[in-house]
Amino acid sequence: MTTNAITNTGRLRMKTKMLRMVAAAAAMFLAPALASAQGRYVHANNSPFDNLDPHAVFDVGRAASRINMYDGLYRWVDNPPKMIPWLAESHTISPDGLTYTFKLRRGVKFHDGSEMTSADVVYTMERMLAMKKGPAGLFLGSIAPGTTQAPDPYTVVFTLKEPSAIFLSTVPEIQVVNSKLVQRNVKDGDHGEGWLSRNDAGTGSFALRRHDPAVGFIATRFKDHFYGWEPGKKWFDEIEFRSVLDVNTRVLGMIKGDYQGTDGYLPYDQIERLRKEPNIQILEDESMRVFYFAFNMSRPPFDNVHFRRALNHAFDYNGFINDILKGSVARNPSPNPNNLWGTPKDIKGYEFDLDKAKAELAKANIQLRPITINPLAGFPETEQASVLFANALRKIGIEAKVEASPWNIVSDRFRSKDTMHDMVPLWKSTYYADPNNWVGELFTTRHHGGRSTTWYSNPELDRITDEALRITDQAERTKLYDKAIRHIVDEAVGIFVYNTKWFGPYSSKIGGIRFSPIGSGQEMRWAYFK
Amino acid sequence: MTKPRFAVIRRFLRDRASFLGAAIVLGLVFCAIFAPVLAPHPNDIYDFHTANRLKPPSWDNPFGTDRMGSDLLSRMLFGARTTLTICVIAVGVACLIGIPIGLIAGYYRGWVSEMLMRIAEIFLSVPQIVLAIAISQTLGPSIENVVLSLAASFWPFWARLAYAETRSVKNEVFVESAIALGCSAPRVMLLHILPNIASPLIVRTSIGMGVTILNAAVLGFLGLGAPPTTPEWGRMINEAREFLPDAWWYVTCPGLAIFFVVMGFNLLGDGLRDILDPRIRRGGARRG
Repeated sequence: MTTNAITNTGRLRMKTKMLRMVAAAAAMFLAPALASAQGRYVHANNSPFDNLDPHAVFDVGRAASRINMYDGLYRWVDNPPKMIPWLAESHTISPDGLTYTFKLRRGVKFHDGSEMTSADVVYTMERMLAMKKGPAGLFLGSIAPGTTQAPDPYTVVFTLKEPSAIFLSTVPEIQVVNSKLVQRNVKDGDHGEGWLSRNDAGTGSFALRRHDPAVGFIATRFKDHFYGWEPGKKWFDEIEFRSVLDVNTRVLGMIKGDYQGTDGYLPYDQIERLRKEPNIQILEDESMRVFYFAFNMSRPPFDNVHFRRALNHAFDYNGFINDILKGSVARNPSPNPNNLWGTPKDIKGYEFDLDKAKAELAKANIQLRPITINPLAGFPETEQASVLFANALRKIGIEAKVEASPWNIVSDRFRSKDTMHDMVPLWKSTYYADPNNWVGELFTTRHHGGRSTTWYSNPELDRITDEALRITDQAERTKLYDKAIRHIVDEAVGIFVYNTKWFGPYSSKIGGIRFSPIGSGQEMRWAYFK
Repeated sequence: MTKPRFAVIRRFLRDRASFLGAAIVLGLVFCAIFAPVLAPHPNDIYDFHTANRLKPPSWDNPFGTDRMGSDLLSRMLFGARTTLTICVIAVGVACLIGIPIGLIAGYYRGWVSEMLMRIAEIFLSVPQIVLAIAISQTLGPSIENVVLSLAASFWPFWARLAYAETRSVKNEVFVESAIALGCSAPRVMLLHILPNIASPLIVRTSIGMGVTILNAAVLGFLGLGAPPTTPEWGRMINEAREFLPDAWWYVTCPGLAIFFVVMGFNLLGDGLRDILDPRIRRGGARRG
């Protein structure tokens, strides 16, 4: 009996000891987690961050990695968007409009502690031009490789092939990378893309801590950022952008408090639902983001204008805007947003009328075939639009197949006319506030395989948009864009539906969110906990 | 001669559970056939009334309306057609592949039999739904591919059952005498063995229907089933999820439909087994 008692107490002691050890271990693991939780912001993102390279990816769904970890020469803020000096302090333009000289800020540090100089900016420009991906489309037409100069460590000179009206407004997209670091990681002449797709080499407000293409990325606040952090404010110490494709999971996570923010383009049903929650604030802003169906113009019967007009008459604009989106947005009958200069104010657009659609189809007099529509998974609006459209098409005798895919897959398919589906419902967001961002990119030959989503080619349109880039007088440019936009609407190169309003859901504990149509409020350096 | 047969039917009718199962299955078939007549708004399959979306159940729309403003009841009735088509064809194909393989493997000894059964076991070693997801994801979402993937992942169940039953029946005297009389192997298999192993196969098929409906709904829910605009119960639940908890009817109605139909097939299968399989007859053995 006694021996038994002894062993029992012994066991008990062992147990307490073990328990203590477990508790200590748990405390060790939990302590850093709790400490970082104080200033941690978790964002539920609608697209996967498969690639962090700022020169390979250029879209709104994956903007957070570019905009938070990298800095451009200038930066867009607020709405209507205005450009503020960023890595560059000022610039001068030569009288012939060909030479742009930027003075760089001194003492800007990369995340590894080295100083950013003009050599890095030159390397950045050459890298973009060589890779020909993402933002390269903005510069390929105007800057030749090897022409960018660095006369001293704080001066960069860009020499344009011909005057460009938009060059200055694309300067924020020159996201500077650490040239030495990237060059060390180049493999087989890939410009370091393999490495940079998983790592960061920027100067931005947040430095990458962890990245998993299936989960998202975590970045910590870069204390030495040149812009500084005003003391006394509870800035985010850590930001996590997690990819959550399912809308319902994003919304429920917001309500539960797992996420402090999510994208500002949720279906309106979900916005109404979030409005009822006391711990969530919905910020509202006018945006410039046109919802449209992109046509793959490279295949028949899309080469037939009557067929395309028939499609334009078969979309139920009112039903979609007023019933499904509950009137939260306004019709936008052309590719360019109504609230931007250069968009014709009197343009009518097509109305939903199946009789007219049938008449156009009769005029087209072509062999019909089943059409494929490729909505974006994680954006239910695109699927609802597709389904609504497919049913209307069936009534005029066109069979349509709807198949959803995640954004990164759809965007890869755009690169080739063979892989792109016949129609893709999506938004064209603002990358720089100029009419060229829409009509000059989506439908022009020079952007095929890049910024163009239509594979449309028309010499007259190419000529007009090229001319509009060469001249700088806004009145003259307005006339040209007016003509280009009317041409696109008349030719029915796509179905143009509405211009988005931004409804940004954030935890009510957060302040300082600064919305700009460029980047859609995903820049976290301005935001803080109240 | 007719008396025992009536006794079977009487026993079946007396068993409330299997009667209920049969009633549900017959109801499903009835709904599928007469969907255009029964549906209050048969045009809503291809007609959307966006102004009317997400309305709760009312006299006009007994099950409410969906995200496009279509009558949910009408879409569900047409969904019964999709469901029934998928599961009848998928199970039919699985039977057509599985039963002959099982018969041949059970009738002959040797490497043919070994090979056929090992292939069946390879298929069985992958969870059925995982295999079905893999197949339909590769081939792309469409009804044909759902049928194909379900049939391809389902046939080994019938093959195994037919194999085991054939093995046990093969040593019976009537088979041996048929062989001794000089009947050809196909004749022995089809006319002598198959009728005698039919009852467990029928039971398996009835229960298999329920499982297939469930799996078809899972594929639909994952977006791998019938493409959008096809009325399909699994897909309806997927669409409805976004509107929970406010539009409760939207997810509840197709969910209950799947529940009842799967239960119906299972009860029917149980009831059939009680009647057809003398070894585990409930009435005699269990009640004493």
